[in-house]
Amino acid sequence: MNLLEYPDLEVLIMQIRNASGFDFSGYARPSLLRRASRYLTKNKLTLPQLISHLEPESDIVFDLMQEMTVNYSEMFRDPDFFIGVKSEVFTYLESYPGLRFWVAGCASGEEAFSLAILLKECGYLNRSLIYATDLNNKVLTAAREGVFTLSNVRTFSENYLLAHGQNSLSDYYHVSYNKAVISREIRKNIVFSLHDLTGDGVFNEFQFISCRNVMIYFTLELRQRVFRLLYESLSMLGFLCLGKRETLRYSGIEQNFRVVDTVLNIYQKIK
Amino acid sequence: MRTFSKSQPLSLVLLGGSLGSMVIFEEVLKLLTSPPDCALIFILHRGKSSTALLPDLFRRKTGVVMIEPDHLEEIRSAHVYFALPDCHLLIGPDRRFYYDLSDKDFFSRPSIDAAFVSAAVSGIPVKAAFLFSGSSPDGAFGMRVLAEKGFATYVLDPAEAESPRMPEEAIKLYHGHRLINRANFTRIINDIIYSNGV
Ligand SMILES: C[S@@+](CC[C@H](N)C(=O)[O-])C[C@H]1O[C@@H](n2cnc3c(N)ncnc32)[C@H](O)[C@@H]1O
Repeated sequence: MNLLEYPDLEVLIMQIRNASGFDFSGYARPSLLRRASRYLTKNKLTLPQLISHLEPESDIVFDLMQEMTVNYSEMFRDPDFFIGVKSEVFTYLESYPGLRFWVAGCASGEEAFSLAILLKECGYLNRSLIYATDLNNKVLTAAREGVFTLSNVRTFSENYLLAHGQNSLSDYYHVSYNKAVISREIRKNIVFSLHDLTGDGVFNEFQFISCRNVMIYFTLELRQRVFRLLYESLSMLGFLCLGKRETLRYSGIEQNFRVVDTVLNIYQKIK
Repeated sequence: MRTFSKSQPLSLVLLGGSLGSMVIFEEVLKLLTSPPDCALIFILHRGKSSTALLPDLFRRKTGVVMIEPDHLEEIRSAHVYFALPDCHLLIGPDRRFYYDLSDKDFFSRPSIDAAFVSAAVSGIPVKAAFLFSGSSPDGAFGMRVLAEKGFATYVLDPAEAESPRMPEEAIKLYHGHRLINRANFTRIINDIIYSNGV
């Protein structure tokens, strides 16, 4: 195992910025340190070796960035969240003729597909548009293809059942060359696009924003800025959903929201 | 890096364990008749869906604050903290807790290594770290890092552990840990958590 210290990490952040233009300085240090140490261990590198390999546009820069921005996701991740969204959020949406959802930090589309399936089963999909964004082009390309390995899909299916899905997840994909391909029906109302939460601004107004397991990797200061952006992107009485371990605490916008569900971290904008 | 107030003295006591450690943790919690002179942080491997059993069990019996902290919560002296299941608990140099949902270490989340290593490099003084019983090698690396930084490290004698692998691996990786046993560990821990200074 390699052990990095915080001053090493600052050097690494600077080198990544020089080589790729991407700036990790707004990312939470304890997590970054752990990711970077693991990267070195996994690739049997020392910090000086790694730094000497960090040339502009080199594969290793992208590989390292990938590692440091945690892209892990699952369909119907935290199944009770989806049960909560259905029972506590969807009822409010009935009166809207058209609905806009934003999945911010969508990884390879898992969460957006889950939301689309939920909307379909509740009869809202045809009047819904889901914007799913991420800063990582590689995961977005995967998301647009909507292809998953069968072993991943097994986990997703278990989650789907735990989330009280009404059918079988296999109703929403077909298998081709040993991979699961999400069906067109589920994909057609989702727009995948590049958006950096830390640099890009408001691009639409939404009734529902889900930003789960993304801000947990940001520093307190950056997090407050991103919360501001999410707040400004929500329509009045719109919903904001965070990950299982995240709350509005220390967000700077606590006052503007009503807590819909403390455990599932669902909030509603009230001012 | 952010500046933070150093006015409130803070030191940490870390306790890690897995299979067979729960009973030991309970004994440690029973020692807490008044607020400890440190922040006490428990990292116990437990199932994904296990509930907040530990704090609930003991909160009522003592006047000591026992919580599963929020992400970014400030670490406070005289508090007892428990890592939540299914996420890593990291200790930041800004004296806050950070959750991390990335890969497991040795099939475990929370990982003892992740928490202990983060504490070792945080710049916050660690009064002592303890590793008890378990069937995984998690914790061995973290304990070594802590010991090499000059912090006091104690490992349960594998002969007395319900599941000896965890303490064995720690001793294999670093020979200088002090051994404790079932007869003396409560006294040792009691002296440490109520002693002044580091
Ligand atoms: C752990 S995944 C979460 C995926 C999904 N929301 C879930 O909960 O399963 C975090 C995602 O956030 C993305 N991300 C990280 N920094 C970002 C930023 N500044 N702007 C937009 N997305 C970002 C990562 O690329 C990654 O795909």
